[in-house]
Amino acid sequence: MMSAEFRLFNISKRYGQREVLNIDNLEIGGGRIYCILGPNGAGKTTLFRIMSLLTINDTGKLNVLGDEVTWQKNQVVRLRRKMAMVTQTSFMFEGSVYYNVAYGLRVRNTPAAEEKRIVNESLELLGMMDFINQPARNLSGGERQKVAIARALAVKPRVLFLDEPTSNIDPASALDIERYIQYINKEMGTTIIMVTHNLFQARRLSEEIFFMWEGKIIEKGETQNLFENARDKRTRSFLIGETVF
Amino acid sequence: MDVIWQGLKEGFLLIIAMDPEIVQITLLSIQVSVSALLLAAIIGIPLGTVLALKEFPGRKALLNITYTFMGLPPVLAGLLVFLFLSTSGPLGYFQLMFTPTAMIIAQVLLGFPIVCGLTARAVMAQPQEVFDTAATLGATRRQASWAIIRESRMGIIAALTTALGRLIAEVGAVMMVGGNIKGETRVLTTSIVLETRMGNDSAALAIGMVLLLIAFLIMLLILTLEKRTFNDERRIQII
Ligand SMILES: Nc1ncnc2c1ncn2[C@@H]1O[C@H](COP(=O)(O)OP(=O)(O)O)[C@@H](O)[C@H]1O
Ligand SMILES: [Mg+2]
Repeated sequence: MMSAEFRLFNISKRYGQREVLNIDNLEIGGGRIYCILGPNGAGKTTLFRIMSLLTINDTGKLNVLGDEVTWQKNQVVRLRRKMAMVTQTSFMFEGSVYYNVAYGLRVRNTPAAEEKRIVNESLELLGMMDFINQPARNLSGGERQKVAIARALAVKPRVLFLDEPTSNIDPASALDIERYIQYINKEMGTTIIMVTHNLFQARRLSEEIFFMWEGKIIEKGETQNLFENARDKRTRSFLIGETVF
Repeated sequence: MDVIWQGLKEGFLLIIAMDPEIVQITLLSIQVSVSALLLAAIIGIPLGTVLALKEFPGRKALLNITYTFMGLPPVLAGLLVFLFLSTSGPLGYFQLMFTPTAMIIAQVLLGFPIVCGLTARAVMAQPQEVFDTAATLGATRRQASWAIIRESRMGIIAALTTALGRLIAEVGAVMMVGGNIKGETRVLTTSIVLETRMGNDSAALAIGMVLLLIAFLIMLLILTLEKRTFNDERRIQII
């Protein structure tokens, strides 16, 4: 069997009475840029949280980066250290931009000189060097998202999750971010899985798309293919703009 | 009014004169309360964090007990320690009654619930995102817990200053287990009681001023240390 970065089988999650996620079968091969589309509340963030081992699934089998997930403490940390996520809120720790970007390196006991080099490098890539000594909480939404991406990049993840990474960013800067995402994928070989509400962005960036609806993946496929001949009625109406989220 | 003026004047002179007896009493006050605060912090901060973060049976009950003991009357704390340490008590063997050690133990009893309870509240006030962010960046559980404590530091500092304020100013516990022995267990608050009882109101007021000055200096020290360490005073601007 070909190895896949993520394999989900029968994964479900409920909050109270409501089932917010129910995935029969999902395989993400790795190496590419993948986009997850779907309306608010479809379960995209929940899916991200389960794949990045932040939320425990209620049922099913989860295979992450070649490991059958048992939720045993050491395994969780070992696997998490191969991934990074930019969350929807781009939460910043109290402290400077430098402190935030260095955090993932510090928990890995990276030597100080190397830490400094990597932090500079990451901020440089995102064009955020001027902010290095600013208190991170004072940044604007868009600036925070860029720092959050730099912070995630600094740990050189094998898989990078981006949850609506350009939602607060102006169109021009969003294009910059798209270029960084492509660079990270092509030059650094990082698998990128992102949620976006921007169809054009999904089309420009991704090679594979998953379409979510009420906790389920109702359509998946190569981006080109999906945009041209989606099978599901809901996906089609979404893609031609009849359904606006 | 005369008494107040007289007291203020005497207090001022007392501070300038550095009378050896007053200096000794002041130093003992600081020694007792600061030691008690440190001990309360060493147990209270980690325990408060555990109460806030760890799910286990009885957690809610323990939290409620902690909150209740935040209002423990000093004389009651003194009485409890007295019962344990007096010659007939279970720890009577150590002969700690009427020593500064007994006073420190009683004050730890008073300070610990405050540090523990307020730390727990400060930690519980943190959003889930603190853990999530630390975890997605590769933190172990312990490292993520540190990140949460770090985010709660304003609240924890408030816990420490609140506790210290209570300890340095309380008289019931230190009186009960210390006995206000001149040169041995007399502290600022017990001196005030003594002077008042002897009718020396202005002297009592003067010692009160010394007490306030000491409280101010210690708070200043804590806040300066905090600022030096973190250098990012957060303030909501209201314009
Ligand atoms: N911790 C939680 N407790 C209760 N309900 C939750 C929780 N997290 C998510 N939900 C619910 O699950 C559903 C899916 O949420 P989410 O995965 O965030 O959707 P999306 O990211 O696609 O907008 C939503 O209806 C949301 O209200
Ligand atoms: Mg979401």
